[in-house]
Amino acid sequence: MLESLLALGGLVLLRDSVEWEGRSLLKALIKKSALCGEQVHILGCEVSEEEFREGFDSNINSRLVYHDLFRDPLNWSETGETLPGGPLEALRALCRRTDPGPVTIALDSLSWLLLHLPCTTLCQTLHTLSHQDSCHGDSSPGEQVHVLGLLHEELHGPGPLGVLSSLAQTEVTLSGAMGQASAHILYRRPQQRLTHQTQWFSILPDFSLELQGGPPLEPQPYPDPRVPSMDPTTHLTFNLRLSKKEREAKDSLTLPFQFSSEKQQALLCPGLGQATSHIFYEPDAYDDLDQEDPDDDLDV
Amino acid sequence: MAAAASCSTSTRSTGSVVVAASRNSVTSFQRRGPRASGTDSGCSRLVSIAGTRPSVRNGQLLVSTGLPALDQLLGGGLAVGTVLLIEEDKYNIYSPLLFKYFLAEGIVTGHTLLVASAKEDPADILQELPAPLLDDNCKKECDEDICNHKTESNIKMKIAWRYQLLPKMEARPVSSSRFGHYYDVSKRIPQELIEASKWHGFFLPEKISSTLNLEPCSLNHGYIKLLQFIQNIIYEEGFDGSNPQKKQKNILRIGIQNLGSPLWGDDICWTENCDSNHSLTKFLYMLRGLLRSSLSACIITVPTHLIQNKAIIARVTNLSDTVVGLESFIGSEKETNPLYKDYHGLIHIRQIPQLNNLIYDVSDVKDLAFKLKRKLFTIEKPRCCYNLQNRTRLCGLIRV
Repeated sequence: MLESLLALGGLVLLRDSVEWEGRSLLKALIKKSALCGEQVHILGCEVSEEEFREGFDSNINSRLVYHDLFRDPLNWSETGETLPGGPLEALRALCRRTDPGPVTIALDSLSWLLLHLPCTTLCQTLHTLSHQDSCHGDSSPGEQVHVLGLLHEELHGPGPLGVLSSLAQTEVTLSGAMGQASAHILYRRPQQRLTHQTQWFSILPDFSLELQGGPPLEPQPYPDPRVPSMDPTTHLTFNLRLSKKEREAKDSLTLPFQFSSEKQQALLCPGLGQATSHIFYEPDAYDDLDQEDPDDDLDV
Repeated sequence: MAAAASCSTSTRSTGSVVVAASRNSVTSFQRRGPRASGTDSGCSRLVSIAGTRPSVRNGQLLVSTGLPALDQLLGGGLAVGTVLLIEEDKYNIYSPLLFKYFLAEGIVTGHTLLVASAKEDPADILQELPAPLLDDNCKKECDEDICNHKTESNIKMKIAWRYQLLPKMEARPVSSSRFGHYYDVSKRIPQELIEASKWHGFFLPEKISSTLNLEPCSLNHGYIKLLQFIQNIIYEEGFDGSNPQKKQKNILRIGIQNLGSPLWGDDICWTENCDSNHSLTKFLYMLRGLLRSSLSACIITVPTHLIQNKAIIARVTNLSDTVVGLESFIGSEKETNPLYKDYHGLIHIRQIPQLNNLIYDVSDVKDLAFKLKRKLFTIEKPRCCYNLQNRTRLCGLIRV
């Protein structure tokens, strides 16, 4: 699923951390979409343009349109090179772009934008950016806008992370084990259930993506800490097992309808103190019981 | 009649009565009471609007939420003039479904709709509504059920045969085809139903141009615009009784999606202490004021799992009338719990309003689970699938 990440459309969030960095995955995805013939726009805020373009060969570099916000973010040098209006204007200019064809927009990085822009404006602009195809009435699925955002999840609290996850169509969390990187992909298809997948991968020096089956050494099998299994036999209101005493008591119980010798004796010889019962019958007004035997006058 | 034979004037009057009776063909007595058909009969004093019914407890006018199971849990339905708040589940998969059920019910019963969203265009939301199960099918099912019950009861009643002479209580009231419909989630609502319905849409990116630099005020601009929009619609179409309506009175169903998310311009999901802490609560207060004075019912979905400040969640819950929370099992430890393996999540009825009442109408079932099947969204009490043979019994023959 990792290679078809771009086919899914919308906002793709790449969450990385200090141990597992995501810029190489971002560059690998950019290379893939450039090779597919899409237009690629990059909003670079964290690293310089030379450093970003390093590792790409020339035909890919010629396809990338780089908007540089790293060198002079506040436009102090006042040359015509930098974008006026800062990052917000740059994003809005990308929203307003009218060239046809599929396009990939890479935001490097969303963390920088989060720290420099008011949050609600950023969310609204991101939403407009990733849903641009709805504006053009006759757009085919091939003409989607793909927005890749790199987010350093250790820089932000749970609030911004939760909000961006809810905005994103796809969320890729990078982690790994034993030197092997893995991506946990959570994809939300509209009106359908959530699908998630974990994919082990590695990035080659020329930024092409190589998928792997699993980490090179067998890890000890441990259950996924995210989803521990629940034991249903805890906190029950009834006993599942009998103790020894209870078992003995159960075994020695006589069943009510079994005729044993003791019962026979008890019935045959009423014990001392057991009074014989008499029945006293008093007929009331509605009973018409005669003392005579009705069969008396039969001539048999 | 002896009275008729006595004098001429009385003969004429009773004669006319007899004639009138024969014209009506049954009796000259007219039946009073609310009818679900919506025709304004001269004798009934209650306003009868299509798709509504009075509550059996306090006479409050109720509308259906679109899910008959949810209606039952809320005490018959949603009261007109109140707000139903849905707390969204973590990945926002099931709460749009409840939202769509509410709107689809409005279309089927002919109510006016007002759909507000900052995420999706209201026209797109309306295209994705579930298709109603047609009335003939529903009636056919009803009839089949009644026939089955009849044959069953004929077999059963050999002992209590006298009860067969009593009038039959119907298994499902036939009038449920008017209040509370069933929908097929796998199909889309037919286009002609949408076109025949009356709806107003509010899509925030269109109403607010983002390049304007607006100075901060106590209430968020998106919310102000939405309130003005709702107020205009209520006033112009006469839902509050201001314009005397010549035609039949109707209910306005308002649906607001993802209220409180940053797409509406609200900061509460972002940080715990922000400047616009009170925007959402003020909005809800004003919205409830608008609803109480008009014939409308509102559904709101709020991503409460994202709101950072717990006090705001509590305030929002208090300011709404009915609160239903959805909790889905995806990604949580309950996914592997064998108790819940048949279900997709839990539904919590957190609050039910006390309207013109001193007592709560609280349902006695506290834990309810929901399941989204291919065609239907069902709410059930989770059955313990635990094997009953393992229970211990002292005098039983079953060994552990």
